Amino acid sequence: MIGGLFIYNHKGEVLISRVYRNDIGRGGGASAGPMGGRRNAVDAFRVNVIHARQQIRSPVTNIARTSFFHVKRSNIWLAAVTKQNVNATMVFEFLYKMCDVMSAYFGKISEENVKNNFVLIYELLDEILDFGYPQNSETGALKTFITQQGIKSQTKEEQTQITSQVTGQIGWRREGIKYRRNELFLDVLESVNLLMSPQGQVLSAHVSGRVVMKSYLSGMPECKFGMNDKIVIDKQGKGGISEEGAKSGKQSIAIDDCTFHQCVRLSKFDSERSISFIPPDGDYELMRYRTTKDIILPFRVIPLVREVGRTKLEVKVVIKSNFKSSLLAQKIEVRIPTPLNTSGVQVICMKGKAKYKASENAIVWKVKRMAGMKESQISAEIELLPTNDKKKWARPPISMNFEVPFAPSGLKVRYLKVFEPKLNYSDQDVIKWVRYIGRSGIYETRC
Amino acid sequence: MPYLGSEDAVRELRRALSNPNVQSDQLRYRNTVLKAIRAMSQGVDVSDLFSEMVKACATVDIVQKKLVYVFLCSYATLNPELSLLVINTLRKDCQDPNPMVRSLALRNMTNLRLPSLVEYVEQPLAAGLRDRAACVRRVAVLGWAKLHNLQPDAEIDAAVVNELYGLLRDPDPVVMVNCLRALEEILKKEGGVAINKPITHHLLNRLKESDVWGQCEVLRILQRYHPQSEDELFDILSLLDASLVSPHPPVMAATLGLFLGLCSGLPAVSLAALERVRGPLLAACGSTSRETRFTALCHIQLLLRSLPGLMGAHYKRFFCGYAEPAYIKQRKMQVLVELVNDENVAMLLDELKGYCTDVNPETAQAAISAIGRIGRSYSDRCLEILTGLLGLKQEHITSAVVQTMCDLVWVCPQCSDTVCSALEGCEEMLQDSQGRQALLWLLAAYGERVSSAPYTLEGFIDRVRSEASLGVKMELLTTTMRLFLCRPSETQDMLGRLLHYCIEEEMDMCVRDQALLYYRLLHCGIEETHKVLHGQRSDPSLGVLIGRPAEPINQWAYSFNTLEPLRQAGFHQVGWGASVHSHFQISPEMFNRVQVRALAGPLKDIHRVVPKPLLCYLGCVLRFVQSALEHVFIQDVSVHCCIHLSLNPD
Repeated sequence: MIGGLFIYNHKGEVLISRVYRNDIGRGGGASAGPMGGRRNAVDAFRVNVIHARQQIRSPVTNIARTSFFHVKRSNIWLAAVTKQNVNATMVFEFLYKMCDVMSAYFGKISEENVKNNFVLIYELLDEILDFGYPQNSETGALKTFITQQGIKSQTKEEQTQITSQVTGQIGWRREGIKYRRNELFLDVLESVNLLMSPQGQVLSAHVSGRVVMKSYLSGMPECKFGMNDKIVIDKQGKGGISEEGAKSGKQSIAIDDCTFHQCVRLSKFDSERSISFIPPDGDYELMRYRTTKDIILPFRVIPLVREVGRTKLEVKVVIKSNFKSSLLAQKIEVRIPTPLNTSGVQVICMKGKAKYKASENAIVWKVKRMAGMKESQISAEIELLPTNDKKKWARPPISMNFEVPFAPSGLKVRYLKVFEPKLNYSDQDVIKWVRYIGRSGIYETRC
Repeated sequence: MPYLGSEDAVRELRRALSNPNVQSDQLRYRNTVLKAIRAMSQGVDVSDLFSEMVKACATVDIVQKKLVYVFLCSYATLNPELSLLVINTLRKDCQDPNPMVRSLALRNMTNLRLPSLVEYVEQPLAAGLRDRAACVRRVAVLGWAKLHNLQPDAEIDAAVVNELYGLLRDPDPVVMVNCLRALEEILKKEGGVAINKPITHHLLNRLKESDVWGQCEVLRILQRYHPQSEDELFDILSLLDASLVSPHPPVMAATLGLFLGLCSGLPAVSLAALERVRGPLLAACGSTSRETRFTALCHIQLLLRSLPGLMGAHYKRFFCGYAEPAYIKQRKMQVLVELVNDENVAMLLDELKGYCTDVNPETAQAAISAIGRIGRSYSDRCLEILTGLLGLKQEHITSAVVQTMCDLVWVCPQCSDTVCSALEGCEEMLQDSQGRQALLWLLAAYGERVSSAPYTLEGFIDRVRSEASLGVKMELLTTTMRLFLCRPSETQDMLGRLLHYCIEEEMDMCVRDQALLYYRLLHCGIEETHKVLHGQRSDPSLGVLIGRPAEPINQWAYSFNTLEPLRQAGFHQVGWGASVHSHFQISPEMFNRVQVRALAGPLKDIHRVVPKPLLCYLGCVLRFVQSALEHVFIQDVSVHCCIHLSLNPD
């Protein structure tokens, strides 16, 4: 269990401190005020971790028999403190959840946002943790307990809602939602991660994807979501649909592991592998998944680095797009690292714009759009200052960013059905929007 | 600066809070309270406002109520008398028709942390247990735990405990889990909640209903259950099978912990469970959040102690990304070392070689020493890489390579030829004391084979006046002595100079004492000196330390899924098995030259020579050294026992 939670800015000033248990910081020294005791723990973390000179050794720090678990979001530090021998995975998972909840309320976690919303944060901390035990961490269910948006005191109607919310079975959706137009938005967002050797051998590649939905549906609808999951397709294949799969080569994908929003009935997933759920209202993340097999790598990077003497370097990088020529990739950015002692760079590129950024020690090559099955190249001459520093240049990998309008894992949405037996609208009346976006995660090629 | 002018600010706030005009306007009143809370969270001492805040508490506005409660809970311990006034309002709120107000009042009543208020709190808490709203019951259950925490010595009310046991069957899953938590704390002295067959089965059946946190809690507490028959055990295991491969890392880890606990008598079943979690564990290692990755890596290291082959085929998953933080890179390297086999050794060494030029010197050093560890089984390939690294001529790399070679030679004496030839010319590149000490030790051991050894030593002796490191000086003395024994004509003069300096001018007791010891030893004759300094080599018996058998799972099962695997253990992680208590992980490197010397020497220089992290294990190490002295460290230690005696002649 967690003894206390602190939020610091990058200077180490405390923005939020909430202590759940007496044992935190009360041990050492004569504590002057109510803050006196906790100040000890707060300061210990600042001095030993935030202001420490050397790099962070571990996300868990032990100071005077107290363990500090920290997570950093932009320049904000969140630290959970405990004196007990707790389950580390759970504490970190909790901190992530805390960040998710906070960003659901006020967007990006930044110093300004934390300062502006400190009352809300105290309120959240009060609801999410009690006596250091996680209680209620679903954003949807929390909304009824948190007063900060609705400033008015509650009406009779809302009060009955709370009661049903608190005692009812479905914690993530309230009763009596009504929309004139029933709409559903479904986004498949994926990020491809790649590490490739200079010879073009894939060292590691995986896709981590999310299915994000936005639903504006009336009543308590029951949804069913189907995708080209290998296990399901194979099962149906026995029934005779397999010809379709054979026609266009790869039709189904193997999902390594997936997690669902709490609304999905896991028992049904386990037994029939079907995803059925009563959706929350508004934005939510239906599932997360990861695949490692048969990934479509949207781009190949072929680097060629030649050292000409001690003061010159020739770099040639070719990128090849590897998807249907009718599709367009966007926001392509290739980052070619240069040595620290670079004095000048001449760049020639066939497409887009390339610039040497001295402050980042890299050549940044940006291409707005690129169709599939195309090839483009950049060549650069890098002049180096002669140094007596014998340190060899470490040659960091070439990294790439892009956005493509398909799912690199090969995932396809097969159907999304909506049933609402009580209100009279049918599956056909719901307007559905599906979109695929593949982005680059850490997409690196060594050179 | 929030601290400046805070008195004025507090005075102004007080005036505003007690102004009847403000009090009548709800919005203005709330904003003033908000200002007070903001001042509090900025570190201003606003405790003087306590009595005004108590008044502000009596309002219908929930937002204001919440704000005031935040304030009261922080300052109640300072004003126990005034807090008594709040209790009345709080008790009234406990009767409110709105369940949210009821739960809020109850929670804050217990959060005031004042032992004097306990008698007023008990009655509403008891009523809260029977409330019809689940959120009130949740708060009430934990409230009893808080009360117990306030007065740990007070007698436990059996009626309450019974009621809590009854609430384990509450329809709300959070209430159920909170009951477990509360009972666990209240009954700590009796060993926590009583876990019997009906309770276990009830909890298992409702496991799926609770959220991730609840599941972890239940699984942890169930570890104490002992199934009555093998059939029951297997029923439980098959019920839990789904959560074993759960996509939530905390649930997966907690389930595995429970499996290991339940199957302590059935090693085959535990092994099967470990095989089954391989997939989810690897997935956690590739998770996007680095902290999860780190914890997963630490736990994999733990598993590898029993099942070295578990991850063999997946070694590529442990290759480091360029932008990963140093702590993950170092853990990954430690795992990679464990995964080496004949097929992947070439690929692995190639990868590790790439890390040796990492920007972070600590990571580079870790990579080099990882290569050294692999060198114990594949010495030729590794030595080739290590000598290649010397060619880079970088200070921190050279230092790490020399230290690694030193450790490697100690374990594999057959590598000494290559090492000797590689040593030539690297003394200029060595700047830090650790590296120089390692070089000196190598010169002492293989002085007759390194042709330039006397010249190197001469350089050291010329600079001895400006030498800051105690360890280097001590090492220098021993090296010169030993070199003198095998190459007397070249070293006699410099030995004389060194001994003269150390005895006449050196300020440090340890160095002076050692020099005196050697001086007297030389008086005893060359035969005697030879016997002491060139004693029997200790290497053969080290086989015991290196060939590490797979540990039984029980050795570490109790520490699985706690903080323990995450602690930085010494410098390298080498499980020790039976000889030392298992959760002290100590490596043979720790006992090598420098450290053994330090341990055997007078206590004060332990602080200087032995790096800080080691100090905590000192007790254990000393015990071990005592028992192992006669067998393992005959050569080096014999000398230092003498030092010890010379310091305490009686």
